[in-house]
Amino acid sequence: MAHLAHYKEAHPTVFRVTHWINLIAMIVLIFTGFYIHFPFFAGFMGIARGAHIFFGFIILINCILRIILAFMVDTAQSGGTRKVDKDYKNWLPQKQNRHQGLQWIKYYLFMKKDHPLSGKYGVPQKLAYLAVPVLLLFMGYTGLALWAPTADMAFFAWGTALVGGIMNQRIIHYFMMWVFIAFTMIHVYLANIEGFAPSKIMFFGTEHGGLTYDPDDGVVTGIDEMGHEKK
Amino acid sequence: MTTHEVTAPALTNMLEARGVTRRQFLKFCGVVAASIGLTEAAIPDIARALEIGATSGKLAPVIWLEQSSCTGCTESLAQVGSPDVATVVLELLSLNYSETLSAGAGHSVEQAKEDTINAGGYILLIEGAVMEGWDGNALRIAEEKGTDIVAHAAQNAVAVVATGSCAVDGGFCAAKPNPAGAVGVQAFLKSRGINTPVVNLPACPVNPEWIISVVVDYLLLGKLPDLDKYGRPVLIFGQTIHDNCPRRGHFENGEFVYRFGSEEEAKGYCLYPVGCKGPQTYSNCPIVRWNDGASWCVEYGAPCAGCSCANPLKAGGNWVDVNAPFQKRHRVVKIGSWITQPSTIGAIVGGFMVVALTAHGFGMKLAGRVPSGAEFEKARAWDVKHPDKALFPKTLKKDGDE
Amino acid sequence: MPESNETLVAPAPVVDNTPLGKKLNLSGKSVIDPITRIEGHLRIEMEVEGGVVKNAWASGGLFRGMELILEGREPGDACYVAQRICGVCPVSHCHASCFAGEGAYGIQIPNNARIIRNLLEGAQFLHSHILWFYNLTGLDYVNPINALKADIADTAALGLESIKNSTPLVKALMPDWNFADTQVADFAGVKNRLEAFAANGQLSIFSGNWFDSGAGDEYKLPPELDLIATTHYLEALQMQAKASQISGILGGKMPHVMASVPGGTTFYPTEQRLDDVLFRAIEIRDWVAGTLIPDTLAVAPFYMDDFGYGRGYGKTVAWGVFDAPSRKPEDRYLPAGIVDMNKLTCKMWDEKLITEDTTHAYYDDAAGTEANPRQGITAPAWPSDGYNVNNKYSWSKSPRYEGEPLEAGPLSRVLSAYLQGNAFFKKAVDAVLQYLGVPGRVDVLVSTMGRVAARNIECLYVANLMIDWINELCAALKGGDTEFFAEPETTTGEGAGMWEAPRGAIYHYEKIKNNKIQKYQIIIPTTWNVGPRDKNGTPGPIEQALIGVPVNDMNKPIQALRTVHSFDPCIACAVHITEPKTGKKFTTVTSPWGVR
Repeated sequence: MAHLAHYKEAHPTVFRVTHWINLIAMIVLIFTGFYIHFPFFAGFMGIARGAHIFFGFIILINCILRIILAFMVDTAQSGGTRKVDKDYKNWLPQKQNRHQGLQWIKYYLFMKKDHPLSGKYGVPQKLAYLAVPVLLLFMGYTGLALWAPTADMAFFAWGTALVGGIMNQRIIHYFMMWVFIAFTMIHVYLANIEGFAPSKIMFFGTEHGGLTYDPDDGVVTGIDEMGHEKK
Repeated sequence: MTTHEVTAPALTNMLEARGVTRRQFLKFCGVVAASIGLTEAAIPDIARALEIGATSGKLAPVIWLEQSSCTGCTESLAQVGSPDVATVVLELLSLNYSETLSAGAGHSVEQAKEDTINAGGYILLIEGAVMEGWDGNALRIAEEKGTDIVAHAAQNAVAVVATGSCAVDGGFCAAKPNPAGAVGVQAFLKSRGINTPVVNLPACPVNPEWIISVVVDYLLLGKLPDLDKYGRPVLIFGQTIHDNCPRRGHFENGEFVYRFGSEEEAKGYCLYPVGCKGPQTYSNCPIVRWNDGASWCVEYGAPCAGCSCANPLKAGGNWVDVNAPFQKRHRVVKIGSWITQPSTIGAIVGGFMVVALTAHGFGMKLAGRVPSGAEFEKARAWDVKHPDKALFPKTLKKDGDE
Repeated sequence: MPESNETLVAPAPVVDNTPLGKKLNLSGKSVIDPITRIEGHLRIEMEVEGGVVKNAWASGGLFRGMELILEGREPGDACYVAQRICGVCPVSHCHASCFAGEGAYGIQIPNNARIIRNLLEGAQFLHSHILWFYNLTGLDYVNPINALKADIADTAALGLESIKNSTPLVKALMPDWNFADTQVADFAGVKNRLEAFAANGQLSIFSGNWFDSGAGDEYKLPPELDLIATTHYLEALQMQAKASQISGILGGKMPHVMASVPGGTTFYPTEQRLDDVLFRAIEIRDWVAGTLIPDTLAVAPFYMDDFGYGRGYGKTVAWGVFDAPSRKPEDRYLPAGIVDMNKLTCKMWDEKLITEDTTHAYYDDAAGTEANPRQGITAPAWPSDGYNVNNKYSWSKSPRYEGEPLEAGPLSRVLSAYLQGNAFFKKAVDAVLQYLGVPGRVDVLVSTMGRVAARNIECLYVANLMIDWINELCAALKGGDTEFFAEPETTTGEGAGMWEAPRGAIYHYEKIKNNKIQKYQIIIPTTWNVGPRDKNGTPGPIEQALIGVPVNDMNKPIQALRTVHSFDPCIACAVHITEPKTGKKFTTVTSPWGVR
């Protein structure tokens, strides 16, 4: 068993809910987005647009909420431990991750055999996740610049003029969707390629045994089987 | 047989003489009011403004220059209903120079134009792009270059109205590769340092109701209409065609035409999938319509080609380059000389991800990391390398203990 | 009333005394630049000797380069963009481009689309012919200022008289035509209106007019007829707009129609739409029969001289227009034909025999000066000596057929139809010649005034066909035919659209690869007519037609203006180029060959 133990403290219920919301909203937004780009079957445009706009707002609000909650909710400092701290600290640079960026890249390029040690999020993972709210806000901006009721507001009209018209704004919005698709593909792949335990805890809160880890010492300390057979 | 009522030519009498009733005339004024954004309360004012020329005996002098035109904008003006173009040139305006309508020719009309320019106080309407090709020799009229003619006539004008997309930003003439150096009037005048105000009325051709409404606005309020950042009257070009399209309901219902001449076409469904550019094209076509209200493109099944799209001061902003291919829902993206659609780029990105991740997955399998991952490193590589500055000495110690 | 009536029913050729120009022995250079009341920018330079044109040069003043703009785009874009060549005949360009695209796609449009295109094209013909006769060339013959002297009672009587005069002709062509339906216009109202206009003193479109040309007697109509024609000038503005409304309904909007695309049409007929078209078509047909034809017959006798000049070569070209179900050019409602009036022969065309010559046009000689349009390799170049009638003097090229200049236009179509035995034109042309007192002399039509007559006869023909086509379409729809559009069979190939604009033979050619245009070529009617001299120094048809035209006023040579107008030139169309050797030449806006 080379995994760290997956404890509930890593993903408290409230963040599992925001993740669920993200998942559903993202699926709906991508599907309806494609449909709006070209209506490949009939009878759905009003619903597609309504849903797109509704879930666009949902994911924006969810994103802001998630950021606020990061300052209020405690989460585990890393895998394999029940030690918690304010969530936002997991998003800031951590001692546990220092000098580890290159190690992660080497690991994924098969130039390093052992799994790097890290905080809750590995270096590339953290950077990717931190980009998500930025991209979401930008997506929201371009989206609102295209939505008739807000398009004429000076704040949005300025951006539309800057990129050279509504057509270019649409293209940007459309490309951004592909960025999200690419992100989601990598995210889903990496979360599951080394076993489904991370998905189980994220979606259902199902804990899973594994190695224990002391974030203060940055060291694997032992094994918490939690009834799971060691292979 | 000359009666006194008619020697004092009130517009109403003149119109009635021609079978245009007061009611029809006021209806026209209503159209004008709508297109310049006034309420119905302004209709009497508009009627009065239209009558100014008729009652004061002083018609506003106008010069209509054709540059690299197809005469489509003049033709379009000839389609205006009530008042028709005869009323416009006989009783509303004094059209002192028009290559298509002037009775004279050659030196005589050139003289008439020169006299009008010298007298000043005229409105200058320009149709067609200014051709800078071959130092302006791409267009020559009366032994003068087209560029010089425009500059000369614009200098003294109270206002320049660039009628039609060609005059606004070069239109199709400026489409890639812009063989004859077409530019819009505004950009050209700017390059010559001429500051006469320019009103841009894009579309191919211009909608005649717009010309009338701008002129009426000028006669009525003594000022040019409010313009947006592209120099277009806000009240004409403030909303998209999509906003006001009668087929909008079908769009929302998801009822679309996917093929010309299909059953859906017969039902008048939305033309979005066959390339309608209504959603990104600003103009009040669906309201004002064309050919004296008889029609407009989308009504008869033709997807909007976005001909009123304009970008007067930026090369390459013409409607052909921006909107072609017209009958496809592609959005063309140009990267250098590579012309493609965003979907293609998206599919390439998505396809690359699938291939890369699948390949990586096999690598992970080969490396024995599926499904349980690799063994954790005992200590961080940096710590091992710099034991004296190690961040987590315990990880090293443990190693050393063994 | 009786006097004017007398003149009218006795259309004997005017007894001529020596023309003014001859008496004054006018000689020297006479220039008309710009020619107004045409589409585009045209300059005419003439060498006059003893009051007669000895030599003439026509110069097209504008270059745009349409073919280059179309390269790399799709056939569906080409039909939209190519029609922007001309705002007067966009429908013809659109259709020629569509036919070229369909040739490349390897398809034929469905029958319904054929009929709808005929209707759309026909509406444009009506629009163009009405506008041309009254509003463009009309002012060469009609003096609205003179109408102020008209007596209203006499005018009304004369109006009825000219309708009566035209009865035999129109009745022969339209047996159930009822003249009682013709509304007599309100001449008094128009006269009042003109008086008000005159009292105001501003000349508007009459600024710089030529009404005083020569000794002031070049405008020969009596005031009453001037008033009638002026009244109808105003009506014509509404009628041409009405014809355009049909184009608008069938094509989306006019000018620049959107509904005809390669493969067919986006127009889907419903009862209401067909109704909108039919009632407008009937109104226009009645107006053409009851107003335009009578006016033509009334005006012509006063200008019998104008049948005597402006002949040109007497050789004409028509590709044919208005497809019949067979889709063959020789079966078209206005059939194809290359006519030689000197021999009274008419033969079918062969695309391979067309060449374009650029010896005297502003194109680089190094790229070759003569080629079939499919192989054309001409490059635009402003010459170092600029405009020079001895070297290069026009942006227009010179198309030749078997090396000969041909004239294009309604006259060409009428002669082609007449010589091929079309019943309508046989009857109509013979009746008109009879009326003019020159029975059987078809060659009389090859003249300045003859072109006017031919165009107006054609107008009546098309006005009647419109109704037939609507009925044909209704029958087809009733029969359950719901096809309006055909999908491409292939996206690589080539095709040529040989069709007719109101002002003559129009040719679009395109070669596509994977639905992208590799090469696009256009030859426009006016290019045939207005082209400069070729390599042999043979003048273009308009240049030739001008030779021998009387000049009674060096500054206002009205007869020359009439002659040019009789071709209905469309210069924006005429000037275009074929594929250049390298695209690079076009990126520079100043001439690399130097400018004066």
